[in-house]
Amino acid sequence: MKFKRVLALTMACMLSVATLAGCNKGGTTGGDAAGGGSLGLDSGETFTDDQIIDFTMFIAMPGSEINDGNEIQQLIAEKTGVRVKETWLTGQTAAEAVGSILASGDLPDFIDGGDGMMQLYDADVLVPWDDYIEKYPNIKELYSDAEWESFRQADGHIYWANVFTNTYGESMATSHNDEAFWIQCRVLEWDNYPKIETLDQYFDLLERYADANPEMEDGTKVIPYTMLCDDWRYFCIENAPEFLAGYPNDGSVIVDVDNMKIVDYNTIPEAKEYFSILNEEYNKGYIDTEFATQTYDEYIAKLSTGRVLGMCDQYWDFAYTINDIFIQQNLDDIGCNYVSLGLTLEAGKDQMWHVYGDTLNNSSGVAVTTSCSDPDRAFQFLNDVLDQEIHDLRFWGVEGVDYLVDEDGMYYKTPEMRDQWADTSYQASHRCVYSYLPQWLGTSRDGKNAMQPQEQESEFFAGLAEPLVNCFEAYGAHGYPDMIGSVVKETGPWYPMYSYSNAMTTETAGGVAWTKMGQVKHEWLPKVVMASNFDSTWDSYMEAYAACKPEDFIAEMQEELERRAAVANQ
Amino acid sequence: MKDKKDKNEIKLNYSNMNKRDGSREHETHAEETSEKLRKLKKVLLGSSYRRESPGDTFFGICIAIFMVLFSIVTLYPVLNTVAISFNDGLDAVKGGIHLWPRVFSLKSYETVFGIQGFVQGALITVLRTVLGTLFALVANALLAYIISRKHFMFRSGLSLFWVITMYVNGGLIPTMVLYKALHLTSSFWVYVIPGMVSAFNVMVIRTYMEGLPDELEESAQLDGAGYMTIFLKIISPLCKPVYATVALFVAVYQWNSWFDAMIYNRMKPEYTTLQYELMKLLSSVMQQSGSATGGAAAQGGSVSAVTPVSVRSAATVITMLPIICLYPFLQRYFVTGLTIGGVKG
Amino acid sequence: MDLESKKEEKKEEKKKEKKLPKASSKKTMREKLSKKEIERQGILLGFMAVYVIYGIVFYYLPLGGWIMAFQNYKIKTGLFGSTFVGLDKFKFLFEDVEFLRVIRNTLAMGVINLVCTFIMAIVFAILLNEVRNRFGKKLVQTISYLPHFLSWIIVTGIIHDSLSNTGIINELLVNWNIIKTPINFFAHEGYFWPIVAFANVWKETGWNAIIYLAAIVSIDPSLYEAAEMDGAGRWAKIKHITLPGIRPTIMILLVMNIGNVLNAGFEVQYLLGNGLVRKVSETIDIYVLNWGVSQSDYSLGTAAGIFKSVVAIILIIIANYVAKKTGEEHLF
Repeated sequence: MKFKRVLALTMACMLSVATLAGCNKGGTTGGDAAGGGSLGLDSGETFTDDQIIDFTMFIAMPGSEINDGNEIQQLIAEKTGVRVKETWLTGQTAAEAVGSILASGDLPDFIDGGDGMMQLYDADVLVPWDDYIEKYPNIKELYSDAEWESFRQADGHIYWANVFTNTYGESMATSHNDEAFWIQCRVLEWDNYPKIETLDQYFDLLERYADANPEMEDGTKVIPYTMLCDDWRYFCIENAPEFLAGYPNDGSVIVDVDNMKIVDYNTIPEAKEYFSILNEEYNKGYIDTEFATQTYDEYIAKLSTGRVLGMCDQYWDFAYTINDIFIQQNLDDIGCNYVSLGLTLEAGKDQMWHVYGDTLNNSSGVAVTTSCSDPDRAFQFLNDVLDQEIHDLRFWGVEGVDYLVDEDGMYYKTPEMRDQWADTSYQASHRCVYSYLPQWLGTSRDGKNAMQPQEQESEFFAGLAEPLVNCFEAYGAHGYPDMIGSVVKETGPWYPMYSYSNAMTTETAGGVAWTKMGQVKHEWLPKVVMASNFDSTWDSYMEAYAACKPEDFIAEMQEELERRAAVANQ
Repeated sequence: MKDKKDKNEIKLNYSNMNKRDGSREHETHAEETSEKLRKLKKVLLGSSYRRESPGDTFFGICIAIFMVLFSIVTLYPVLNTVAISFNDGLDAVKGGIHLWPRVFSLKSYETVFGIQGFVQGALITVLRTVLGTLFALVANALLAYIISRKHFMFRSGLSLFWVITMYVNGGLIPTMVLYKALHLTSSFWVYVIPGMVSAFNVMVIRTYMEGLPDELEESAQLDGAGYMTIFLKIISPLCKPVYATVALFVAVYQWNSWFDAMIYNRMKPEYTTLQYELMKLLSSVMQQSGSATGGAAAQGGSVSAVTPVSVRSAATVITMLPIICLYPFLQRYFVTGLTIGGVKG
Repeated sequence: MDLESKKEEKKEEKKKEKKLPKASSKKTMREKLSKKEIERQGILLGFMAVYVIYGIVFYYLPLGGWIMAFQNYKIKTGLFGSTFVGLDKFKFLFEDVEFLRVIRNTLAMGVINLVCTFIMAIVFAILLNEVRNRFGKKLVQTISYLPHFLSWIIVTGIIHDSLSNTGIINELLVNWNIIKTPINFFAHEGYFWPIVAFANVWKETGWNAIIYLAAIVSIDPSLYEAAEMDGAGRWAKIKHITLPGIRPTIMILLVMNIGNVLNAGFEVQYLLGNGLVRKVSETIDIYVLNWGVSQSDYSLGTAAGIFKSVVAIILIIIANYVAKKTGEEHLF
């Protein structure tokens, strides 16, 4: 009897949820019709519902689906005549997903295959862009002729375009969404904002601070430094040497620009020195003893208590979660937020932790498939989404609802708008970013605002806690890139080399070596840091590393570098 | 008339036979049944008034202690998941939540119930669970019946044929190509048809059927019953416990499936399943809170208060509940021994 | 035909059956199948045909994909157009010392897990059957199978938590003065296999016990009754009635599971492993992920799959043979 009651209750719950959802849906569509009129977007040509064409798109990356009847999606559809239903990667690798889509023969109209892009090209299911690039000015504007050339495949056609990190006009970057050594701003404040340039200075400061303030307010011990070695996120320990040696993030190798030679950063003296410093700090007890075995969840849990003073990581890997937790616990008020430092091994050396300008990853991007019923309309749409009006709708939202415009024409958001914009259900019902369709960073065509709100300086500072603002002021910085202080230097046309190594397979000797190198490093790097005898452990590591034949990998990268340089020189 | 007499005779003989060789009883006479029931009850519940040896009492205490410890150890992860699902997502990231939420919040559940495909997914999932279980149960039971017949010509060969299917696998791509050729892709039936016969379940049922006394079949055969009649009238009623077991296995498999929904019906939201919707939600939440492109999508401000951990917990609880509700209905078939001896007419 | 003659026939058959030794009875029996019996089996044959067709279509046809293991399979060229490379993929596997080590890991974990989960499930089912309080029995059973519904990521998360430096296990060990400083369990190769085994037992014992519970139900209650009258204690009843009663089920599951020792899993090892214990944590499936799937090399994964299938089939044939020889329940 009891269970029957439970069951009945469950059924009742499910039913009421169903009704609720039903109401919601009705409400949304109703709101749409009203919204379209009252929002007063400038008229011009609009499409009615039966003129609107629906396209599908598969993106080989995880992402959030938006609801049918999404408000901004509807507005964009009325203006462009196209609505795109996005489907995202779930529980598979990009290559697997693309493989199974190809096998099923059920292709979407648009596709971004990620790491599986070459499979799509090999299967001859993509529509060449060549004619359309000339036809649609917004698409052509995305890249310079030389950049477009880099997308050209072996058969002489262009099949896709990457959509990210494309700067329109002047760069307005305030963020550093990349790798750096991070330090809590309270540590810098405690030492009166010293100039930290080298790894030695960094650890010296962490040590002194931890000795003077060994505990948090609640009595838990601070962790001066931790590292993540979990699975693919082991870049947190792995690739610092390339930066410490002054090079930008080519990912898998260093490109010695003077000689046009590929250099393996795992074996350079800087690498040995970096790991010997880590080893020394570990043995002194300043590095988290669990660093080698912690999972990503545990790492984030640790960071979120504010106990960790510093680490090396990519901003996106920790900040989006951590920042919110700090706000929730008021840890941001005591200066637990992290600021970026661009370190080298010797003071005064130039470094390129932050790369100004765009990073073109030409190995993947958005493509139109041969299953698309109306390729012309598809390319027209790719052109239209770059229109300033549509672009603002995608990234800023609806004027008056999601952002306001002040008398100087500058866009801004109220705190309520910012919160609403970030709310999950609002995202599903209202926001439509089309995040894997072409887009711009940098300055809006009005010459004042940023293309995307996170680059608007007022928006950036509005979201910052006081200790962080003080810190930026003390260093005279306008954002994270200024904190790092990298040299402004053009990257070569081959940059970034990781777009090649990521696509390597075990079919080539280089690919085999690359996979083996990764495995050896996963195993040995933590061992090296934890070693009681650093030198002998390092030698054993180097021995195991040499057994992977890294020279095969380097040779292939060298070939690719020369190929890319040659393409650029044509 | 003659027939009826015969039947009675057989039954009589049969029950005598049973008594003689001391194996199972399958009484049909009301008197005998009730008598047996009384005895049975004594066996099951009688320990309270029968004197136990000190050894047995000690044994009983040991079992009790073991069961309590075992329950605590297995209940912990479940309660922990429930606690986290009712906790504020960001707060839960810090860890240290055990049996009770620290900062109570229903946000995770709101998020899960708020997915657009929830209702459609739940409908399809219920449908595939019901149909899938029914189809599979019938298919598995019949096959098990065939290969458990001692005199069946191809008994051994057919068994081997199916046992091998447990250990071979053609791989994802060839399977997809095949299903496409069979027009199973982009359809609901891909959830029901391909997995209908599972050698494992067949073997479990078969073993059980073989444990039943041969005399049952023989006496019915003498009665003129064909194989199908025996299957439906004699064997199946006795197999309730194992049918319940296999039904549970299949139902749970069907209920939890999501991969087939994604692979075969990726572009067909009308055939989505609840688990696929939950997986999609989970992977999107994971993406928002820590990946290179998530950064580009998450604009300034604060990210929502749900995290992968909290959403995963809520989704788990929502998935578990219906199965927990289903269980007691099946449980009665294999917790008590009372169903035995229930051959009616 | 009339009933009398049929009865007669049956008796005849029974007599013959009794005379013959069990092991060789089957073949002789088949020869002796009467025409009528064959006619009677018509319906079974009909159904069998359906099952064989079904099995061929859904299980054996896709095995055509095994060709991939001998090809350099490319999506573009497909099964019929890809270049054949002979045994190259198998060579790649078996010439790699890593792969041999990975086989060792898989086998070791497969066997340890099989033994632990198997014994635990049987012990649990039998003990649960001894619980006299019916409410308690139902409750414990319901609780015991719940962890089955938790995903591995949740279970491994909890295990990681409890075994961390500040986790409950280290806390207890330190408080009881068994150790001075916390042990980092995941940094030592020696702890990995036991942890994986524990995780499996924890998650699946209650679930695996369900089959045994169903089997116990089919044991005739009068057997217990008779034993009791003979003065048997609980332990004796378990030994002489319960265990023999579920013995066929145990044997069948054992034979089937022996074929699965190379499927020691993927998720647990992947989620609990780290660089330091890589040498003992990697299983065949993880190896295939690293070297095949993540490189879009379907051929390698297929080759490894064939290897696993062949080993599995050899193992169950041996196990089945042994079971047959020793007069135990067997699969075919």
